[in-house]
Amino acid sequence: MILEELAFLAIAVVAVVTALLALLTRELVHTIIWIALFFVDLSALYFLLQAPFLGVLQLGVYAGAVTILLLFGVMVTRKRIFSREAATGIGPGPIVLAGLTLTFLALGSEELPQNGVVVHAYDPTLLSQTLFNADGPWLLLLGLVMLSALAGAIYLVREGRE
Amino acid sequence: MSAFSPAGLLALSGALLSIGLFGILTRRNFILLLISIEIAINAAVLNFVYFAAFAGATGGLTGQAIAVVVIGLAATEVAVGLAIVLALNRLRGSINVAEAATLKF
Repeated sequence: MILEELAFLAIAVVAVVTALLALLTRELVHTIIWIALFFVDLSALYFLLQAPFLGVLQLGVYAGAVTILLLFGVMVTRKRIFSREAATGIGPGPIVLAGLTLTFLALGSEELPQNGVVVHAYDPTLLSQTLFNADGPWLLLLGLVMLSALAGAIYLVREGRE
Repeated sequence: MSAFSPAGLLALSGALLSIGLFGILTRRNFILLLISIEIAINAAVLNFVYFAAFAGATGGLTGQAIAVVVIGLAATEVAVGLAIVLALNRLRGSINVAEAATLKF
């Protein structure tokens, strides 16, 4: 029991630190490395929460595909890949807003059950039944959205536009 | 089988959502903006996974099914976002969102 609590704490600290470093570092390539670590860390959390299918999906889609896509974007849009970002000032507004969000969430957390909630392992067959039987239209809709996104992306980058 | 306190789990996703919001509001680079949005979406997916775990296998795995759909949608969004980045780079020679102000009045 205590081992899982410690593992969760470690994963949570790594997730917050890597997310912050990804946004605060000045080199875009370092940002990509930190965000890849963040995605791998979250997939470890999914495994800890007994959701192994989502963990594997997170590794494949986020740590694999999205990271490579972002790296590709950085490579294409920069003359020198290790050039630094111009510094952007951080006004008081965003910090106040983020602080207010955290306060709001902290106030709401008192309503939650205070004792631990037990997480059981499940049969992966159940997830596939949920995905393909009851929520079958959702996967079909996802496929349609992906197809139209593909068409839209090709339209955006095609040759001959002003 | 293991036990987790809901407050700690939700505090993590709240913190990640705040970080993503902070990035969306302060960064001017389009790719950093996309990364901030990804962090915020991951915070939301985490919530779905928590509540699916709390409900247990008997309570249905709808939360995990929704998480699968959201992960797919987020990957699609990155692909379209990078197409916009490429178009912006070709049109303006820069991916600073503050310079893409043609539609601003």
